[in-house]
Amino acid sequence: MADKQFKKKISDALDNNVLRGALGRFGDAYVISREKAYEGYDFKEISDNIAEVKSYAASHLDEMIDQFEKQATARGAKVYRASTGEEAKQYILELAKKKEVKRVVKSKSMVSEEILLNKTLMSAGMEVQESDLGEWIVQLAGQHPSHMVMPAIHMTKEEVADVFSGHLHKLNQPVIAELVKTAREELRKSFLEADMGISGANMAIAETGTLIMLTNEGNGRLTSTLPPTHVFLVGIEKLVPNFEDATHILQALPRSATGQQITSYVSMVTGPTPAYYPDGTVQDKEFHIVLMDNGRRKMYEDEKFKKTFQCIRCASCLNVCPAFQLVGGHVYGHIYTGGIGTILTNFVNSEKDAQNPQNLCLQCGKCSEVCPGQLDIPQMILELRNRMGEKTGLPFTQKFALDVVSNRRLFHSMLRMASIAQKPFTKGQPVIRHLPMFLSGLTEKKSLPAVAKVPFRDVFKTIKQDIKNRKGKIALYAGCLIDFVYPRIGEGVIKALNEKGYEVVFPDGQSCCGAPATYMGDRGNARKCAIMNIEALEAEKVDYVVSACPTCTHALKESFKELLHDDPALASRAEELSKKAKDFSKLLFDLGGLTPGGDGIPLKVTYHDSCHLKRSMGVYTEPRKILTDTSGVQLIEMKESDRCCGFAGSYSIKFPELSGPILDRKLNNIEESGADVVVVDCPGCLMQISGGLDKRNPGLKAIHTAELLLDKRKNVKKNRVK
Amino acid sequence: MHKDQQDDLYNKFKTKIELVSGECYRVNTALEASELVCNVLIEKGIKDVALLNSPISQKGDFVNTFEKKGIIVYTDNFRQVTPDAQAGITQVNYGIAELGSLVQADADVNQRLCSTLVPIHIALISTDKLIPTLKDTMATIHSLPEIPGFVGFITGPSRTSDIERVLTIGVHGPKQLVVVFVDEEVGGVA
Repeated sequence: MADKQFKKKISDALDNNVLRGALGRFGDAYVISREKAYEGYDFKEISDNIAEVKSYAASHLDEMIDQFEKQATARGAKVYRASTGEEAKQYILELAKKKEVKRVVKSKSMVSEEILLNKTLMSAGMEVQESDLGEWIVQLAGQHPSHMVMPAIHMTKEEVADVFSGHLHKLNQPVIAELVKTAREELRKSFLEADMGISGANMAIAETGTLIMLTNEGNGRLTSTLPPTHVFLVGIEKLVPNFEDATHILQALPRSATGQQITSYVSMVTGPTPAYYPDGTVQDKEFHIVLMDNGRRKMYEDEKFKKTFQCIRCASCLNVCPAFQLVGGHVYGHIYTGGIGTILTNFVNSEKDAQNPQNLCLQCGKCSEVCPGQLDIPQMILELRNRMGEKTGLPFTQKFALDVVSNRRLFHSMLRMASIAQKPFTKGQPVIRHLPMFLSGLTEKKSLPAVAKVPFRDVFKTIKQDIKNRKGKIALYAGCLIDFVYPRIGEGVIKALNEKGYEVVFPDGQSCCGAPATYMGDRGNARKCAIMNIEALEAEKVDYVVSACPTCTHALKESFKELLHDDPALASRAEELSKKAKDFSKLLFDLGGLTPGGDGIPLKVTYHDSCHLKRSMGVYTEPRKILTDTSGVQLIEMKESDRCCGFAGSYSIKFPELSGPILDRKLNNIEESGADVVVVDCPGCLMQISGGLDKRNPGLKAIHTAELLLDKRKNVKKNRVK
Repeated sequence: MHKDQQDDLYNKFKTKIELVSGECYRVNTALEASELVCNVLIEKGIKDVALLNSPISQKGDFVNTFEKKGIIVYTDNFRQVTPDAQAGITQVNYGIAELGSLVQADADVNQRLCSTLVPIHIALISTDKLIPTLKDTMATIHSLPEIPGFVGFITGPSRTSDIERVLTIGVHGPKQLVVVFVDEEVGGVA
């Protein structure tokens, strides 16, 4: 759970309008420029290629390092293997002392930031100059980079001008072209005077001992040209097996990082090249390569985190992250920021350092969609969360809540009690608009739905199922929200499936799917829920198991299998359930959909894609087809229809201050679409969005696909008869 | 290479490099290149230029052409002259049509001094050195007897978006890039 200091950092970041503005504008522009840069290219194919060559390197790491060292040495380089940051720093410091270095110029190296190399060299009396413009600004301002690719994205031109004026003892106007000119002039001196250059690399080619770096400003070229001593500081994850494998990364890195087809400069350095020495002679330069581990190997040896080796550090995961876009990099607390940064921090810094930032992940999966290295970042963050939960335990209140949830009888009787106890807050309305005191953050931006008077499990018994041409039997898994808050969704599901010839049964022993426990890092309780539901649902006895909540469906299809993989008997039952479980709109579509029809009354709808349905299950055309087959329905696509609504389960309780603005953006897009109704397939999204609309625009309604069908097809049969 | 294919590659290259603020020309002979570059220098008000001798510049008699017009031409001492020279001229090894990129495959430090420190870089290239794609280029470099000590792709002038994500041309490298393709076969650079 996030601690107080961390919460303070978040609220400071949220209060920083400059940061919010810069990140927001960039995030919007990035999506478009990335898409344009990949036009005519097959992103899937490129990322498959990257995953292939990088995973090969990861599983042959020693071989790669040996080969790289052999080849680079054959070309005249001196290769040093540093197992820790300390070793890397000592090696470079000793070399600098031996060469009587006074001035060091650096082109961009995140690894050197990771180990705070500058501090070591500066305390030995050397001048160290960053030369990447963003890095230099951050260096002068005494800060850390807030983004891997754009270190100073958090600063305005006014702030940069102030920093320049303070350090260069002359007034700088906040005019970007002028500031860049100042940087050119100031740093030119550093390049010409430096007696040592330090660079990072984007790739290290084992086959040829070549280092490749991509830059736009030309600092990489100058650092590789002028100083007579050149050190490359490289993390072992930069290894790529063969020279031509670099093609794939060259295709993806600039496109994914900055939306460019290629950076202005790509520099490939193989061994020492000639350089001018102070005496005017031209000789091969002193050329060193430091290959650094610093916690990385531990990460790659861990089966769950091995894929981090496939990361090419493009930072596209940050650029599309709704949470990063709100708070920026500095909230993450260390050098590497965003989702991938949290994982790297866990291994190169410490688990403790990753404890707060891992909470920021919404698990929306947008980052995985754009990752050219095919990393499942949310899954890895979840793994961290669970390991932390197992090691240190969850705070008492959370643990208590999850213990209750995994005890069906207790949980359900508490929900029934809540339905009565909530009355003071609902004031006779179906929503809770205000909560007292510390809970008020929950209802600041949105209303909460009231717990239904009669839960679905009781409503079910009263539903008369009308089945013609009986084809089979489907078990309905309701999940907590449909069971206790939105029973009408369940009614819609039954009605539609009856029409397809299926009887729907409601196994009474079912309870919470365990997702809250899974996403809060409590595998013990998640497992209990998995077992309880597998036993209750008896998938063996039905044709399908349907759920109208994609988060629950994901649990039935994926999480249960993972949680029970060590118990063969339960695992095979989980497998059976996984095969039969389908989300409502997917199942209805697969069964051939409903006969087109409806009340014909014009209704403008827009559709919100839930994260789990679209990205975990790849379902997004199916619900749209179901909607447009309903007569009267006009579907208008909203902007960013698959962007997270900010609910993310317990996230909206842990971080209402982040969930709120994410919701605002969703509501803006819904309003801009001009639709009368927003349709969703997830009761969680429904709760979040309808709560927000209730506060802001009560005329606009949110409903679940199953409810829309119920409403619009009330009289379908009668219509057909006519 | 077939003429049509060459035209096609050239047109692709030109479109791409112009998208990233590069200038692109094509001439028949090295002498024409010399005239063209001379005019470009005069137009841009260049008084002195660092020229790294190459097959095209020699065949086109660049030094004489420029000196006749009163432009000072440096052909050595590059470490001293390039920090202040107003332009630099080098011949590059390949062009990548797909990206509008130039490829320097050369360990010689002067190649980089004359193309990086100067505010204007004029790159000469034999039209028959155009390669269709990045993939083909990587294969070509890989097939050399050994990977040259330095291989540099150049795509347009230097740029940054590090302040407020606003694109600004001309940071540490050149502020302008002019590419001149020469059809006449004069041989590539070593």
